[in-house]
Formats: sequence, structure tokens, C-alpha cells
Amino acid sequence: MSVDNNKDREWKSASGLPLQPFYSERDVPPEHRERMSSDPGATPFQRGAHPGGYRTKPWRIFQLSGFGKPEDENERIRFLLEQGETGFIMEHDRNTGDHCYNVDHPDVVARREDVGLTGAVMQSVRDIDICMKDLPLATSFGHAGGAVVQHAPFALAGYWTVARHRGLDLAKLPGTGQSDFFLTYLGCVTKQQIPTRDGLRFNADIMEFCDKHLPRWVPVSIAGYNGADTGLNAYQELGALFANAVEYLEEIKRRKTMPLENAARACSGVNFRASMDLFEEASKMRAARLMWVQLLERRYGITNPKVANLRIHCVTAGSRMTYQQPLNNIVRGTVMALAAALGGVQSLGVSGYDEALSIPSEHAHQMSVRIQQILQEETNIQSVTDPLGGSYYVEALTAELVERAWGFFEEIQEQGGFLATLDSGWLHERAAENQSEDFRQQESGEQVIIGVTDHQDDISPFEVDGFIGADDAYDVALARLQEVRRTRHEAGAGQALNELERVCRDGRNIMPAMMDALESEVTLGEIGDVYRAVFGDWATPIQT
Amino acid sequence: MNTAGKRILMAKTGLDGHWRGPTVVAKALRDAGFEVIMIGMARPEEVVQASVDEDVDLVGLNIGGHVDVAVRAIGMVRESRPEVPIFVGGVVPPHAKRKLEALGVEVYPPGSQLPDIVAAARRLTGLA
Amino acid sequence: MPDDLALQLERAVAGDRGALARLISVLERGGSASTSLERKLRVRPGSSYTVGITGAPGAGKSTLVSTLLGEILEEPGQQVALLAVDPSSPLSRGALLGDRVRMQAHTASPEVFIRSMASRGHLGGLAMATRSARRLLEHCGWPLTLIETVGVGQVELDVASATDTVVVVLNPGWGDEVQANKAGLMEVADIFVINKADKAGLEATRRDLEGALASLPPARRPQILETIATEGKGAAALWQAIREHRAAITASGELMQRRLAQVRSELRGMVDAVLADRVQRLFAEEEVDARILAISDGRLDMAEAGEQMLALMYDQANDSTMT
Repeated sequence: MSVDNNKDREWKSASGLPLQPFYSERDVPPEHRERMSSDPGATPFQRGAHPGGYRTKPWRIFQLSGFGKPEDENERIRFLLEQGETGFIMEHDRNTGDHCYNVDHPDVVARREDVGLTGAVMQSVRDIDICMKDLPLATSFGHAGGAVVQHAPFALAGYWTVARHRGLDLAKLPGTGQSDFFLTYLGCVTKQQIPTRDGLRFNADIMEFCDKHLPRWVPVSIAGYNGADTGLNAYQELGALFANAVEYLEEIKRRKTMPLENAARACSGVNFRASMDLFEEASKMRAARLMWVQLLERRYGITNPKVANLRIHCVTAGSRMTYQQPLNNIVRGTVMALAAALGGVQSLGVSGYDEALSIPSEHAHQMSVRIQQILQEETNIQSVTDPLGGSYYVEALTAELVERAWGFFEEIQEQGGFLATLDSGWLHERAAENQSEDFRQQESGEQVIIGVTDHQDDISPFEVDGFIGADDAYDVALARLQEVRRTRHEAGAGQALNELERVCRDGRNIMPAMMDALESEVTLGEIGDVYRAVFGDWATPIQT
Repeated sequence: MNTAGKRILMAKTGLDGHWRGPTVVAKALRDAGFEVIMIGMARPEEVVQASVDEDVDLVGLNIGGHVDVAVRAIGMVRESRPEVPIFVGGVVPPHAKRKLEALGVEVYPPGSQLPDIVAAARRLTGLA
Repeated sequence: MPDDLALQLERAVAGDRGALARLISVLERGGSASTSLERKLRVRPGSSYTVGITGAPGAGKSTLVSTLLGEILEEPGQQVALLAVDPSSPLSRGALLGDRVRMQAHTASPEVFIRSMASRGHLGGLAMATRSARRLLEHCGWPLTLIETVGVGQVELDVASATDTVVVVLNPGWGDEVQANKAGLMEVADIFVINKADKAGLEATRRDLEGALASLPPARRPQILETIATEGKGAAALWQAIREHRAAITASGELMQRRLAQVRSELRGMVDAVLADRVQRLFAEEEVDARILAISDGRLDMAEAGEQMLALMYDQANDSTMT
């Protein structure tokens, strides 16, 4: 329908920026024109993080994966590595992980069939050990799981403990966790979660601990993705992400426990979403690198290029994957991956084409890897860095995104800062507004989604039934939990758990006690019980 | 059309925390004049108790996980409030959709448009 | 229908929650069924107690109520009902009622009955049927009812005329609000709670509050408590304060005075509502249009027309009681 109406159509970007029919030199703001002459790999980095671009460092193929029992997940990760994935993400079951519940918690028992559907169930270091069997920990960039803040210390300590048992030197271990505020407090709000203030403490604790013991580890990864896929538009995603970074940096500044430059470096591995507006999304990655330079210099006087060089992991928008005609999503995944690559990201995950139906099947996962390999190997995209640089349109868009993003950043500061906008629900309102607007535009025909709003069909030639997962995850997890309780050194576990509770209460860094707890085979649910007793529950803002 | 006083319970059966879909739907139902009682992530027995105490005319379940969890909640609601219709939304793969539809439950998977959901709520509460 | 109502009421008294819930819906819908039900409800002196919780949106009322429920239920055998009022949209008349999300610890407990009520256009922090619902709960033997009001930015005075103990919830940093609402706060509050007491500005808010209350005689000065509802901190002290207040006003005879005032206010409200309804029906009559025309033509004066209208309304009322 929209094609017929192109005459009357209001042309704008996905975030609502008005678009001209074409762009010329005069449309690029003067101060931005100067930046255009910089080289990739040099300040202000908008043109790229590395001078050699993908010639010297192809982007990492980094897929989220996990389901069932730890051995199911291990098998899937090894499959993906065989297929050419160059890092791996170890997703924990979210029912148990996000809530820090063991499988015998009443809230889990009531949904026992859900267990293992979103990740592998890992309740003790023994489970984590099974999941990490034969994985190339020393050479591969591993993601330990722990996307949700209260879960991160457990997931990280588990991964590190297993690595230590295998004789690896933590000081050389590469990898990341996530511990993301956007996911935890905005995107997928759990039934129970520690308050934001305590979450901030956890993340600062992780940063400090890594600064001392795991210098190659990316301690936290702020994931604007989770804000964007909840409804924030491109410049809001940018503004909110840097507002989040400021909270971390201010916390470390207050603590004076590590050099601020190290903290900034710890925050410089971030996660953005790539969605369907090809040029806006590519420009967003360029804008992000520029903004990080500006933020560090203006606010903290940090100009060290090693710190100010933002590294981006990008995931294609799960929410843009449609339920209807799911094979169309392979095309969508390709376009979004292309946007990310044109924007010069360091690492990429492509959502499965069955994303709107289920967790990815093996075939969907393979497809996500293949899309990236085809882009890398068949399109010649790796030969030239920042291929869009100098385009009047892309440069103007980059400049405007930067300006609007700083505007949104300021709005957040006026609300009392990033944490305050989560506590009050202000940020949720912004996301929900955009969601409702998207629905309105889909109804009115302003926004077209092929197979959903237009060109629907009932014959469904692209039938995909949805991946079912493993059906014995709950039973096996329950048996293993009982096994741990029966065979661990009970006094040692009790002692470690008591110490963890003391640390939680008195404010010391939580990570050494967490490492001891994992070593002593304290279980996830026991740790969650300590959190609930000490920190209480975050009051989720409810929208009315 | 007068929707005043018609009450709809909205619950999530899973623990996955995706609030986007249910919230947008809840607001659309509110804007269509319904009183929408949100209970968040709820166990089947919590859905049952809320549907009784709140005397709702319709129960909306957002399901995000295994279909059997939803099937159990639906069975329990029907046991205590057999006269109340139930509709379901969320990530419902085709095999789960077939199973739910076989139980006589209307299913609105991703991509469903809000006017269709609102129209269903009107019809199911006897307004159209 | 009245027979069915009697049966439902019997069941509700016997502990059938479904029947109780349906009867609250009858009260919410109003009309003749509601009136018939009201006729069966009698106050049972001394059998129940009502606590109101009010405060601005975002003050943390629901979370506080949830932790308070937890404290109350610590006592064996305790039963408690909660009426949680949220605003209806003035445009669509729909509402989003989200209080149960905060009450999850108690939403499957047989000792707790939670009912979300939309204000349905009623101003003042309560829904039209909140008072009737409270009376129904009392009739059905619920010994304690909490009423959580709509938060609309300032203190809602209605709650004082519907409850025995009023808890006003504030947050640190609300000095300006305290000043702006000083008169209202002093009129209604029996207990002040400064919730989110871990946030900046606690001391200043307490000082402002104490300043505002300084003119009251010490015996009448409300307690000021501090809570962090998200962590459950202060809930025990709040429950203790509520019990103390109840004991004090019971002993002093003030409770009796309050109840009389509640009944007076409610009776007045009911008569007002009936009259308003009659006036509305009156103006729907065709004869009114004739008089309006007559006044605008200069054939009839306003005073005479007014008297005729009142006479017409009494006729209507007599007709309706005959049928």
C-alpha cells in the first residue's frame, strides 16, 4: 500500500529524523566536516576502531546459544565453533539464572517445563564444568553468561573457577560477562531482582576484581541492545548507554579503588543493536565511537586512545524477526548484519530466523553463522574500512544522531541520572511510547512489515515449527542439585555462604567471597536467598 | 461501544520478564475502555486466585515458554471459573498454537495487530 | 435477582471468595441490584477496622502495603482484605490496575483478599463503591481492611472519611510538598511514613514535617516513621504504630466519633449521588426542553421554572417508588 502513497509519504529515519531527498556537502555541519578527515583507528574513532579494519581483525562471529542440560549446551557451542563461530556465549537458563533460584524453588517448580528452554541449567560449579567441557578457553573469547546483574557474580565466578581448575592463568584469560542494566531493569525485568543501587555495587565490584586479577577480561558490557529492542530509538539507545557508563564511572570515582582510566577501559566494550534502517544503524556505530571520545575527554579529561577507542559487539534486532513467513528473517538478518559491518563493529551475533517462534534451532543457528561468513568472504566488505565515510548522507546522519543522543543523555541527567530513570520508570515510558507508536504506524500503513502488515498469506510456504529444546533438563537438574547437596563438604559450603552474606552486608567487594562460594560448591539458589535477605527486591516501575 | 466496567486479567505464565508485548496490549485494552488488572509473572494458582478475587470477565495469558505451563494454568482457571473465556499471546510456536487452539483458546502470536486483539476482547466479553 | 443476591451474600459470609468478588462487582456497577444489596448490609459495631494508605504516585504505597501485609500475616489467624484504588482514564473510562504486581508474595494466600478498583470517575482518591465494598467485607466477617488510595499528587481527604487510621506516605526530598499540603496533611494523617528512607533528603523532610506538625498538641502529633519498603525495613514498626493508634483512639472514644463522622459523610455522599442522578434524569425529560425554550423566549422566568423543575423531580421520585 505504501508504494502507491510514496508521493505523500513523510520520509524519515526509524528514529524519526526527517530525511532529505539527497544530501550535499552543505548538509554536513562544519564541525563534523573536520572530523571526516580523520583516519580509522585514530581519534575521534568515528571512522573505525582499528587502522587496518577487518583486514587485520575480522569481526568476531559471536552467537548467543544455550538450552537444556549443560551437556546439550556444550554440544551446541562446539557445533557452532566447528561451523566457524570465533567466540562463544554460554547462556544460563534464565528462569533459574536470572532469579538466582535452584530448580526446586516453588516459582520454578510451577513452571518446570520451562526449565532449560532459554539456556542450560547451571546451579553449581559442577554444572558449569560440564558446560565448559573441552571448550578452547585460553584461545577463544568466551562469554560466561550472567547477563542479568544479580546473576553475573555467580556466572563469572563459576567460569573462572572452572578455568582455574583446568590450570589456566586468570591473568591471561580472555572473555566477558555482561551484567547489563538494560536487560535487568528495562528489557526483561525479572520477578525478583536486587535494587539498582546494589546492582551498581555488584558491577563496580566486578570491575575492581577484574582490574586486579583478570586484566584481559571485559568485566561488564553495557548492552544498549536491550534498551533498543525494548523500544528506545537509535539516538535514545546511544544517549542511555553513555548515561549508564557514567553511573559506573562515577561509582568508581567515588570509591577511588582503581584508576579511573582503567574503569573507562573496562566500560569500553559495549553492545548495540542493529535494526532494519540500514544507514541509520551504520551511522549509529560511528556516532557511538565519537561520543565515547567526547564523553571521556569532556567529563573526565581522559584522552588515552587505548581507552577512548570504543569496541562494539552488535546483535541484530530480535524484535524485527517476524513470526509470519519466518524464512524472510534470513534476509532481515543479512541486512542488519550488513549495517553492523558497515558501521565497523568488532563482534556480531545474528538472531535466528526462528527468533519469534522459539529459541534457535541448530539450523537457524547455522544460518546465523553462514550469513556472517558470506558477508565476510563473498562480498569483499572486509577490504576497505569505513566504506560509508565521506557520504554526505551518512556523515550528516552521524552528526545528527550524536547531537540528539547528547540531548537524550541530558534529559536523563535532568531526571537524576540513568539509575533514577530506571527506578522511576521514566525510561520504560520512553520505550513504551515508541512501541505504541510503532503499532500505530503499522495499523495506519506508515510502517510496512512484509508478511505481517502487507503480503500476508495463509498458505504459509515457509512453515517453521519452532525448536522444542530438551525435555529432561528439569529432572536432570533436580537430580544433580540433590547430588551436590549430598556429596559436597557441607561445613565448607556453609562457611563460604556465611562469609558471602557478611560481605553482602558490610559492603566489601563481593567477588572474592563469591569465588570461595563457587569453589565450595555453594549453589545458585542459596546465593539468591542471601541476596533476597540482604538486599530485598527492586520495586519494578509499573506503567499505568 | 460500551466497555465500561468489563474487567480483564493479564498475567504472564513464564518467568522470562518480557513485558513489552503485554504492556502494549494492556494499554490498548485500557484505551478501548476495559479495566485491565495486571498481575505480572504469576504461577497458575496466582492466576486462579486473581481471576476469582477480581471477578474478571476475561483472562489474558502471555506465554513465553513451554506450552504445557500455559496448558496447566488454563486448566486450573477453567476449573474454578469455567464461564470465563481465556485468550493467549506471546511467543507461541505453531505446534504450541495448535495445542492451545485445540483447547478452545484464541491465540495471538507475534505480529498480531492491536485492533484485532481489542476486537477479540470485546467479542469474548460479550460486547460484540 | 434479590434472591440470588441473598444467596451470594450467604455464600460470601460463609467464606466463598467468588461470591464476595461478584458482590463487589454488583456494588461497582451500581443501580438497583446494588441498592438491594446495600439494604442487606448492616454495620457490625466493633467487628472490624479499616486502615487507609495514601500518598502521591511513586511514593511506594503498594510496596509498603505488600510488606505491611507480610507483617500482619505473621500473626496467626489474621485475615486481611485490601481494596487498591487506581484512576480510570477520563477519556476511555478504562484503567490499568497494577497493584497486584507488588503484592505477589500474598496473591495466592487464602488469608488475603485483594481487590483492584478503578476510580470510575470518582474524585477524592477512592472509587464510588469503595466504601460499600468495605461495608460488604465487614458484613462478611473480614476483620481488617486496608484501603490504598489513588495517588494524584496531593493528599486525598476522602480517605479520612472512610477509614479509622490514615497512613500518609511521603519520600525524602518532599519538603515543598509538605509545605504545599500542610493543612491537608495535618487534617488527615494519623501516621506519617517517610518511605525510601535510604534516599537523600531524609532529614530535611523529617524536619519540614515536624515543623508543620509543631502547632498540634503533643498528644495529637502523628508518629513519623521511616521505611525502606523494597527491603521490608520499617514494616514491623508501621504495623506496631497502627495497632497503637487503634488502641489509643479506641480507649479515648475518638474511634466512636470518627465512625459517626464516617457514616455522616457516607450518608451525605449517598444522598448527593441520588440527587445528582435524579437531576440528570430530570434534564433528560422533554418537558425540560420546553421550559428552556420558554425561558429563552421570555415567556417564563428562571425562578418559576426552577420551582416547576423541583416539583417535577418530586413527582418522578414518587412515581419510581410506586413502581
